[in-house]
Amino acid sequence: MDELKIGTLKGIDKYGNKYYENNRFFYGRNRWIEYAPKYGTDYDASQVPAEWYGWLHYKTDLTPDKDPARPKYKWMVDHTENLSGFSGAYIPYSTTRPKIEAWVPPKSS
Amino acid sequence: MSNCIKLYSLTNRGSLLARLTSIQAVKPRYASTTKDGYIYVNKEEPSMNLGDVTDRAAQTIFMTEMFRGFAVTLAHVFKEPATINYPFEKGPLSPRFRGEHALRRYPSGEERCIACKLCEAICPAQAITIEAEERADGSRRTTRYDIDMTKCIYCGFCQEACPVDAIVEGPNFEYSTESHEELLYNKEKLLDNGDKWESEIAANIYADHLYR
Repeated sequence: MDELKIGTLKGIDKYGNKYYENNRFFYGRNRWIEYAPKYGTDYDASQVPAEWYGWLHYKTDLTPDKDPARPKYKWMVDHTENLSGFSGAYIPYSTTRPKIEAWVPPKSS
Repeated sequence: MSNCIKLYSLTNRGSLLARLTSIQAVKPRYASTTKDGYIYVNKEEPSMNLGDVTDRAAQTIFMTEMFRGFAVTLAHVFKEPATINYPFEKGPLSPRFRGEHALRRYPSGEERCIACKLCEAICPAQAITIEAEERADGSRRTTRYDIDMTKCIYCGFCQEACPVDAIVEGPNFEYSTESHEELLYNKEKLLDNGDKWESEIAANIYADHLYR
């Protein structure tokens, strides 16, 4: 956080980000996130996990531990930040066999 | 000049009666008509009476205009800024916000998409490409589900066409990339988005369940 603001700690997600609220600020500034210390100055808005995304965007007043509409399935995966430009970036590939395949000449042994 | 407050006035220091007559002499703004009946809509020329000219000159010489300007600037220093400090604070968003696409799964982990191709048919930008095949267990599934995110116009027709709520436009809008290729999403990427964002997608669908 590059600004001195006082607020109540509403929760910490499993990545170490802290979420604060202080309703004395006007709507739009009364909820904020303090990114985990491991990010240092490489914090990014895409590091907000899906569980806290709605609360931070004022969609709901319920923090994820109190929201019954948020399911927890075992196939849900961990959040990743936007990795564009890093080694983990998504590279498109085809998920099917090509319809036209080049002819491979039979080898005469 | 007559409708702004004068801090210094060298003239019009006469009796109250003289002041009242001078106020009454001020003409209403748009009522000045010429003799031909046309309405003069332009800005009134400043009065060139010796008194008014002296007043204007006094305001310039004593720099009252400048100090009044400084006062406005100083007042804005103490005002609370109306901007939010992104990425620490974020703006309000609707549950119906149409952002990055995702393919959802059933609670059992089975993928929802049945390759009906309604989304491909309705897509006005023709950004979706689907190829379907029978899976080993006999169910109809897609083998290819590509969305060109650079063609997509984010109209939301695909999620409205979908009979099984498989393709949705999730809440995420922070997926800008450094290359065009990274925005050509395939089925694996879309399913991975769904697995990452299911908590928020399910909460959005629940928030809108009375209107669906």
